[in-house]
Amino acid sequence: MRIKLKFEENEKKFIDRVNELSGENIYSCYQCGCCSSGCPFVFEMDILPNQIIRLVQMGREEELIGSKALFLCASCFTCQSRCPKGINIANVAEAVRHLIEPKGKDYFGPQEIPVELADELPQQALVAVYRKFSK
Amino acid sequence: MVNKKTKLHYYPGCTLKEKTTNLDNTTYAVMDLLGYELIEPENWTCCGAEFPLTEEKIVGLAAPVRILRQVKLEGGNEVFTVCSFCFNVLKRANEAMVTDPLKHKRINAFLKDDIAIDRVTGEKTTDFPEYNGDVSVLHLLEFIRDEIGYEKIRSLLKRDLSKVKVVPYYGCRLLRPKGKIGIDEPDDPSIFEEFLENIGCEVIDFPFKQECCGSYLSLSMPDAASEASYNILRSAELNGADVVALSCPLCYYNLDRRQDRIKEKFPEFHEMPVFFFTQLLAWALGVDEEVLGLDQHFCDPRSAIGIDKSGVEI
Repeated sequence: MRIKLKFEENEKKFIDRVNELSGENIYSCYQCGCCSSGCPFVFEMDILPNQIIRLVQMGREEELIGSKALFLCASCFTCQSRCPKGINIANVAEAVRHLIEPKGKDYFGPQEIPVELADELPQQALVAVYRKFSK
Repeated sequence: MVNKKTKLHYYPGCTLKEKTTNLDNTTYAVMDLLGYELIEPENWTCCGAEFPLTEEKIVGLAAPVRILRQVKLEGGNEVFTVCSFCFNVLKRANEAMVTDPLKHKRINAFLKDDIAIDRVTGEKTTDFPEYNGDVSVLHLLEFIRDEIGYEKIRSLLKRDLSKVKVVPYYGCRLLRPKGKIGIDEPDDPSIFEEFLENIGCEVIDFPFKQECCGSYLSLSMPDAASEASYNILRSAELNGADVVALSCPLCYYNLDRRQDRIKEKFPEFHEMPVFFFTQLLAWALGVDEEVLGLDQHFCDPRSAIGIDKSGVEI
């Protein structure tokens, strides 16, 4: 039996925007799971890296909103180095973060830093975390 | 006769001038002994720490490209870094200027109108030339392997490190993304091992050498980062290492300065000394202990390289 998927207009738009922003072709993923088996932070994730890709392929923007996994990516590119289809999953995660972040609200801003840590934090960590998780 | 030193551009990056001066100072010390005079590009700024991964964040390329353009304007054709983050960002930004015509056009258009003010005369310059990606970006490990050569390093060794059992920790930024960085093969690197062997250490292999330490997640998800760092240090210990060598100030923060928090989460954890590769090189080349900045470490690394509590070499 053949099943034909039909996307709503907004779902199609979401998929196209992720492809466009990330510069990757998410349709090329065939769900082998190499990304999830190599990711050093899966133990904390609610959905796995391959599931993020699958949800994007299906245009399920709603289910990605509020996912903790997107904010557990440290862009270490282990998934990218193992993906047999050459997809840069960190790029996809960054594109999705960009699209789902609520307007005008930072996921992680300066107010989240405990005062007692202010003296010891390396500059590069501050710059990197704001680059990734705030507007 | 005193040999004239070779001038070489060096980009330290923001963290090295503040939190990890031990990495900066030992870099200066070893490069001096190896015959180089380091030049920092004038008015250098932070490189941005993260290469922008989506087209929307392209402005993040402005800072690294501006730094590279400055090196070029000062007549340099290569620049080296010791921080893995800076290396990654500068190298990828440079590559983008060569391979991505759209980024090249947009960033150069943005940077053309920069205004530079001369500190002495107050004279303003603008209308900067385009930057076309023609400065080569190197990490010091690469520079030592390819341009200085291990033979020269071996001939200058002053101290014996054969009792130092060390694991090389690459982390993520030196090796990946695959195909873009190229300091070594991302899945089976050996450059760090070769370096450590050539300065006389006993090198120990361990499976976590390319794993992520948690990076900036130590700020936003501290618990997850502690677990990732714990896995790395624990694996090093189980494989028989006494110390970890690395090159990234953020890995150093996660693996050394956060050992108290790792211990909170994992009470069975044993502290382990962490060194920058330049500290081990400096020590091997006979540099004085004060230059190494060992009091900046959380886990006191002195005994691991044969210094007793009162600061005397054993």
